[in-house]
Amino acid sequence: MSGEEEENAAELKIGDEFLKAKCLMNCEVALILEHKYEQLQQMSEDPMNQVSQVFEKSLQYVKRFSRYKNPDAVRQVREILSRYQLAEFELCVLGNLCPETVEEAIAMVPSIKTKGRAHDDEAIEKMLNDLSLIKKFE
Amino acid sequence: MFLKVQLPWNVIIPAENLDAKGLMLQRAITVRLMENFATRKATKDLGYFLAVTTLESIGEGRVRQHTGDVLFPVVFSCITFKLFRGDVLEGVVHKVLKHGVFLRCGPVENIYLSCLKMPDYKYVTGENPVFLNDKLSKIEKDVAIRFMVIGTKWLEVEREFQALVSLEGDYLGPIS
Repeated sequence: MSGEEEENAAELKIGDEFLKAKCLMNCEVALILEHKYEQLQQMSEDPMNQVSQVFEKSLQYVKRFSRYKNPDAVRQVREILSRYQLAEFELCVLGNLCPETVEEAIAMVPSIKTKGRAHDDEAIEKMLNDLSLIKKFE
Repeated sequence: MFLKVQLPWNVIIPAENLDAKGLMLQRAITVRLMENFATRKATKDLGYFLAVTTLESIGEGRVRQHTGDVLFPVVFSCITFKLFRGDVLEGVVHKVLKHGVFLRCGPVENIYLSCLKMPDYKYVTGENPVFLNDKLSKIEKDVAIRFMVIGTKWLEVEREFQALVSLEGDYLGPIS
């Protein structure tokens, strides 16, 4: 962290290096780690022995906390959220938590309602509707 | 939050692993990079190291004097996991104590939710202790909870993070 301002993701203060970094949603990480794990399976009989604890715990976690499983749905979620001028960080929080109401979305990602940003309640509502449609047709 | 990061590292290949055939060398570099990556576990700035996704480039090797090992500068992409203050996440309870519960979230095991940060929940003792609120919402072992990160701490010796989290806020708490 540079500067005196304290880190706070709720206000999107997370340090420039991370604002530019690409964030990944749980469902995207699940696809990548599962693919890695399959590769290992082909090379060895006991793949769980080949991976680090960090890998193993993370794989378990993203399997449980992915809202979308189908690779096409995962791609669509990112595509739809990308239309709403969100920061990478905000996009992933919304994709991970899938809020159902506008109020809930703002509680989870307060920065989408801060001054100077074009998100009125109507735009947020539409975004949440689009997201729930993907879930329905997955 | 999971992050996709591009990093420059140096990979050292011992002299005996050097082979006249270039293909074997590339393989040796990849294997060594994966090993180093897994052993590193985590750093304060980038968080936990999950997996290398792509090896972007391998630079000119430089022979090190005395040992004859060769050092290759490489650039690769990887996935990391870092906890940010203010971030809302979901995790799983793995221990219930009188003064709070411990949660697991991604690769992080030591996430503490103090009873002071869930004031409407009361501790109920028993064989399987739980925290209950007036609406009979229950926090017990293996329950998934949505929480907000209020502080993180890096432990250099263990190469691990600890975090403090809270349920004070709307739409936080156990999830079905």
